Amino acid sequence: MPCLFVLSVPAYADNRTDNPKVQVAFGNKVARMNHWREAAFRYAQAAEKDSNYLAAHANLAVAYEALGNFEGALKEYKRALEIAPNDTKTRRNYTRFAEFYTSYTRTNGKAAPNAQ
Amino acid sequence: MRSKLSFVGIAVLVLASTFCAGSTAQVKLLLPLRPRLSLRGNERILIAPFVVVKEDTQNNRSASKVDIQAEFVQYLAKNIAKRTRLQVIRPSSDMRLPTQNLIVLGQSQEYWRALGTASGAEIIISGSLEFRVEDRAGYKREEYVSPLTGKTQYREVYVEQNGSTVYIVILAFNGRTGERIFKDAFKDFHQTESYKADDTRQLFDNLFSLDGQIMNLFVTRAREAQRYLLSP
Repeated sequence: MPCLFVLSVPAYADNRTDNPKVQVAFGNKVARMNHWREAAFRYAQAAEKDSNYLAAHANLAVAYEALGNFEGALKEYKRALEIAPNDTKTRRNYTRFAEFYTSYTRTNGKAAPNAQ
Repeated sequence: MRSKLSFVGIAVLVLASTFCAGSTAQVKLLLPLRPRLSLRGNERILIAPFVVVKEDTQNNRSASKVDIQAEFVQYLAKNIAKRTRLQVIRPSSDMRLPTQNLIVLGQSQEYWRALGTASGAEIIISGSLEFRVEDRAGYKREEYVSPLTGKTQYREVYVEQNGSTVYIVILAFNGRTGERIFKDAFKDFHQTESYKADDTRQLFDNLFSLDGQIMNLFVTRAREAQRYLLSP
């Protein structure tokens, strides 16, 4: 029984912050609490450690969306789909995002005078 | 026996961890939609008259008792003043549009530039308004279970359905150059029970339904979306 308990401890029991999986797991935890800036920071850290880590890029795209950084989200979605073109969840997220972003950029008005 | 049990236990855990590693969670996002007009936030904004479209057909009529021009300008001015720091300039009573043709109106750069100069407005809002009360009454086939025989039968029932439609085209112009900087259309149909039909109330039902979309021109709006988060 003790051996079963040890084997069932989640992956992020490894507390090293340089572990991308630890970062993504923490990012997911705070994302569920709507702390998207912190989540984006964690996912970005994970993506920096492992540039081919699907979950880091895919979740970072979602975090950027939540923060209104749609250009960043687009970039991360494309990177995630480069890593795993057949991942259905990422593709579904991207499809919904693309639908929204197309409408958003198409209907955005031109700059008003002196607007930055 | 013990070794068999521990083997089964380990196998179950391996399967469970494999399942958990590939699983995802769904989260709800509130996507912050920036104001559709790129504004500093303290511009002087003139709400010019709108073209009022009136079209009567067999099943719909323009709600002639409602002054849609006055009501919409009042609604827009009040909400902009309340929710933004824009300085609202209302149209003067003698202000007239150069044309009732919306396409020509959108291209009348000289007119809007002159109006912007005269009023000091940096942004000018105009467009067209249409408000129709529609009668969609008719016969409808419905299922009916006879209380005597218990058999399912069909009968024709006359259903009265009234509703109102608002169709708003909003144009925004640069007050300095007269150039059109924005155009979009908003439409809403609201069904009402016929005995409650009141043109003014129906108009406001329509406007409140479109409130988020119209005010998104000037203020940030949140739109709900769901996304998957991949597990590590």
